[in-house]
Amino acid sequence: MPDALNPEDLDAEQRAALEELLFRLADDEYVHGERLIEWQIYAPTLESDLALANVAQDEFGHARLWYDLLEELGHTEAELIWERPADEFRHATLVELPFAEGDWADVVLRSYLYDAAERLRLDALVDTSYAPLSDRVGKVLSEERYHLENAQSWLDRLAEGDSRDRVQDALDRLFPHALSLFVEPEYEDAIVDNGFRTMSTADLRIEWLETVIPYLESLGLDVPEPDEVERPSARGRDGTHTDHWDELAAEFRRTYDELEAPEPARIGGERV
Amino acid sequence: MSDVSADDAREATACGYTEYVDGEVPEGFPKTGVGATGVEADIWDALYEIEDPEMPVSIVDLGLIYDVRVVEREGEDGETKTLGIVEMTLTYTGCPARDYLENDVQCAILAAGVDEASVRLRFTPEWTVDMVTEAGREALREFGLGV
Repeated sequence: MPDALNPEDLDAEQRAALEELLFRLADDEYVHGERLIEWQIYAPTLESDLALANVAQDEFGHARLWYDLLEELGHTEAELIWERPADEFRHATLVELPFAEGDWADVVLRSYLYDAAERLRLDALVDTSYAPLSDRVGKVLSEERYHLENAQSWLDRLAEGDSRDRVQDALDRLFPHALSLFVEPEYEDAIVDNGFRTMSTADLRIEWLETVIPYLESLGLDVPEPDEVERPSARGRDGTHTDHWDELAAEFRRTYDELEAPEPARIGGERV
Repeated sequence: MSDVSADDAREATACGYTEYVDGEVPEGFPKTGVGATGVEADIWDALYEIEDPEMPVSIVDLGLIYDVRVVEREGEDGETKTLGIVEMTLTYTGCPARDYLENDVQCAILAAGVDEASVRLRFTPEWTVDMVTEAGREALREFGLGV
């Protein structure tokens, strides 16, 4: 195994590889959290509402931990979140899609597909060679465990009876986008060779398919054939996104844009 | 350790999805500043004054402080400066009081009389409720929380 690396040890290629890995981690978590909060006060029960709020809070917390590591490499918060062009975000298209209106099956199924992938990805980072990342993975992994449990407990219930059709619809709609989680990074070789991630993206994809397909089929769902589904033209990971992403990005940045952030605002609207 | 065994605590847990007891305390934790001297001891004293924003218990007794040290380094003007460093964790990653706590700790370090302060977050070892000190447990019990 390569020696543990810190920011000051990185050469240009290692740095680019690590940044690509971190941007994917951070952007996935941030955008997933951003969508989840749309369910606030609308989830079907008080308990599920609180659970989802907690999950979203965790995702924002994790995104911040990963963005922190990018800040250590010289990026700034303003640039990472508020001013980065929308087509430079590297999240998978799965997490940017709006929910089908009022469709609880969408958020449950999406969360399951995402959280199953997230667990595998984090498992492959536990023994990362990058010391600052290594410090954080265990804590995040133990928090993610609850997300997967929550999604699965809902999915088990929704897949019984009439609601199964809605889960099936969500699966047909979301599965092609979930595959975008596993688009190979530009710096895949450097990521693996340097020990930043201990499993290849191709192997993660296989493991994910071997995890989610038998489980979904055990619930009576038909899983699309991964190699035959029509893939969306937007790939997410390469900066191409659906139109929904532009709208979501504009929405979460509206306040920042209106505040003209460098100038402190005062209550009542007076400016210093 | 308290007189509450892990098994007792599990039985008293209301929510099946939340583990209030989560294994062992790593060796050397929680850190409480025992044996610290000089400015480092002063920083520990100042940290004891900071309470968790949600509960009347010191962040040291909660077990959040992982290291305190003071180093000397050369400033841009060539003068030797003292830098106080605190390594700390959060009970969970999404802690909304993160900025508030980091700022309080920053101020505590400076109040101890060093030239510069640095607060570094660490998440290994993972914090668990078992890292709360005996004094912390008492403060929490008095507040009405069983740990």
